[in-house]
Amino acid sequence: MSTLAVIFNAEFVRRIRSRPYLIGTAIGALGVALIAVIPSFMVHAVSSSTRNLVLVGPPALTTPAGAALRPDFSVVAVLPRLDATPTLAFLDAHRHASAVATLSRTGSRLHALVYARDPSLFPSSFARDLGPLQIALATGAPLESVRSRLTVPIDVRDVAGRFENAGEADAAKAVAYLFVLLLYLAILLNAQAISTSVTEEKTNRIAELLVAAVDPVQLLTAKILAATATGFVQLGVWTAIGFLAGSKLTEGFTNGDVGANAGPLAISSSEILLFVAFFLVGFAQYSVLFAGGASLVSRTEDVGSITGPLMLPVVGAFVLAQLGIQFPNGPLMSSASFVPLLAPFVMFTRIAVTPVPAWQIALSLAINVAAAILFALIAGRVYRVGMLLYGRPPSLRQIVAAMRA
Amino acid sequence: MGSLVLSGVARSFGSVAAVRDVSFTVPSGITFGLLGPNGAGKTTTMRMILGILIPDRGTVSWDGRAVDLRVRRQFGYLPEERGLYAKLKVRDQIAYFGRLHGVMPPYDARRAEAWIERLGLQAYADRPCGELSKGNQQKVQVACAALHQPSLLVLDEPFSGLDPVNADMLLATLRELQREGTSLILSSHQMWQIEDLCEQFCIIAEGTVRAAGTLTELRAGWPTRVVEVEPATTPLRAILDATPGARAIAGPNAGTLTYEVPADLDTAALLRDLVGAGAITRFARLEPRLQDVYLRAIGAAA
Repeated sequence: MSTLAVIFNAEFVRRIRSRPYLIGTAIGALGVALIAVIPSFMVHAVSSSTRNLVLVGPPALTTPAGAALRPDFSVVAVLPRLDATPTLAFLDAHRHASAVATLSRTGSRLHALVYARDPSLFPSSFARDLGPLQIALATGAPLESVRSRLTVPIDVRDVAGRFENAGEADAAKAVAYLFVLLLYLAILLNAQAISTSVTEEKTNRIAELLVAAVDPVQLLTAKILAATATGFVQLGVWTAIGFLAGSKLTEGFTNGDVGANAGPLAISSSEILLFVAFFLVGFAQYSVLFAGGASLVSRTEDVGSITGPLMLPVVGAFVLAQLGIQFPNGPLMSSASFVPLLAPFVMFTRIAVTPVPAWQIALSLAINVAAAILFALIAGRVYRVGMLLYGRPPSLRQIVAAMRA
Repeated sequence: MGSLVLSGVARSFGSVAAVRDVSFTVPSGITFGLLGPNGAGKTTTMRMILGILIPDRGTVSWDGRAVDLRVRRQFGYLPEERGLYAKLKVRDQIAYFGRLHGVMPPYDARRAEAWIERLGLQAYADRPCGELSKGNQQKVQVACAALHQPSLLVLDEPFSGLDPVNADMLLATLRELQREGTSLILSSHQMWQIEDLCEQFCIIAEGTVRAAGTLTELRAGWPTRVVEVEPATTPLRAILDATPGARAIAGPNAGTLTYEVPADLDTAALLRDLVGAGAITRFARLEPRLQDVYLRAIGAAA
């Protein structure tokens, strides 16, 4: 067993058994589950309440109107007339309807008087859905005929042939968002843990013993690999939870039409491989920087002074990746997908939502792997020097001078 | 087993020269005392031996070859500031440091058990190190440093913070290691322990070597000796006062005549003169102690 393996094993076991890691993983899993479930529930809950409608009027109007409104509303009750102005209690009594619409006809024109729970939120689709009925009443043509003539079939195709339809493109964006979020969370939680671990070893003076027996770069490498492995375990748990929650959600809404526009989660094996590759590279880049930086402080309470500035590129890359989901081919995104620290977030986002030439992916990976190695070498030297520095954090000049020694 | 040679090593931290010029040789299998006041450069020298710090100048070699990582893994180190993983169990901690020095399973666990027994840590073997007393943590630290049967064990202030019982136990352990062939380098402010344990010494101050050698060699360079004569009668005092180069110094009690005399004084002739002058109940010629040599060397540096 090599020294690298010895340290890796010890670090991996220590980290995976540590309370912060277990709590972080559990909270992350809960977060992923909530992220997967809550928006759909919210949409379902909100749409359910805003969809429920009470129709009032003569059957000659309410019957065709009910059919016309079906795409966007659920007509929960049809009444011939209102005995009094509807109240909130009246709406609640009718399956928490969002509105009562009374329909009447003046000549050939249809008129609707709507008592809404919240007038500002009453959907504009109400007027659009009743449009064909208005024409049918005015012209005497059958409603279905009018509706079919008013519907223009629109088939949106991906010019690159990547996605079958708009639904698949939407699903790809969701995948990109989820994976970027996972990388962000993994870095956020584990980089902090690495920093704390390094500073703890310095605080309790184990660093000196370790550096005496092990090459600092080897020590740092083993720590990063262990952190990456624990990050992957975390990622696996979160991904499994995310997919489980997603699939349960899909099952739950099979009969409804929530998310009807969403396509299947089209993730190819090559995309998964690329995600793993960029995850590893990104995680390694940030981890070595955090470990090297943390070696410069002597107390765990000072870790924030080093990790704070290092968090800026993580947050910047995360924000940039959000933009990349919407505008993956702009010059900013194209450039950022080669820049170390940013590329792991941005390039994967682009890969997920738009065709990216293979040479760009290869070049980005090469640049970022090289950057990770360069960061590791620099961080290794900083680590070697920093692990034996106590007291006030050294100035940049001192660090550079010490690294040259 | 090899010998350690430091040749003109120097190390600065910014504008502060921690070690200016230190050279010494630690022959195979001996116990070597590195002495000096606080800030003399002992710890920096030890760190350079262990490769933790790279010398600005000079070389450190073991058995004729530069000390690299492969060589360093044969060394053991007990730093002045103790370092243990607080949450790791004693047994696991000792075995882990063994593995770091190349003692692989199942031998790491077996040797850890042997050291736990040797140091009387059985009751604490499955407890996290953070829960142990300072003395017991020190024992764990010794086991971590020695589990791999190092060729050279470097101990920086190994006795600090230990009660007399634990200090004796550590002393006995170090003697055992020495018998097993491990070379020891240690620094300590407990002069009596150092004097008792070490075969060779190096006294450094302000980053340079002030004196080095065996205790006999160090004493040889000492210009005076001390004689004690009892009883403190006038005729005996007169003989001592008349001895060339002799001067009275404070003695252990009023009943003893204590004089510092030149090292090359013919003590036998002095004794004959004293016997001729009156009845003598006690005559002693005292060699300088390590502490005397040390203080003189440090005083010269001051």
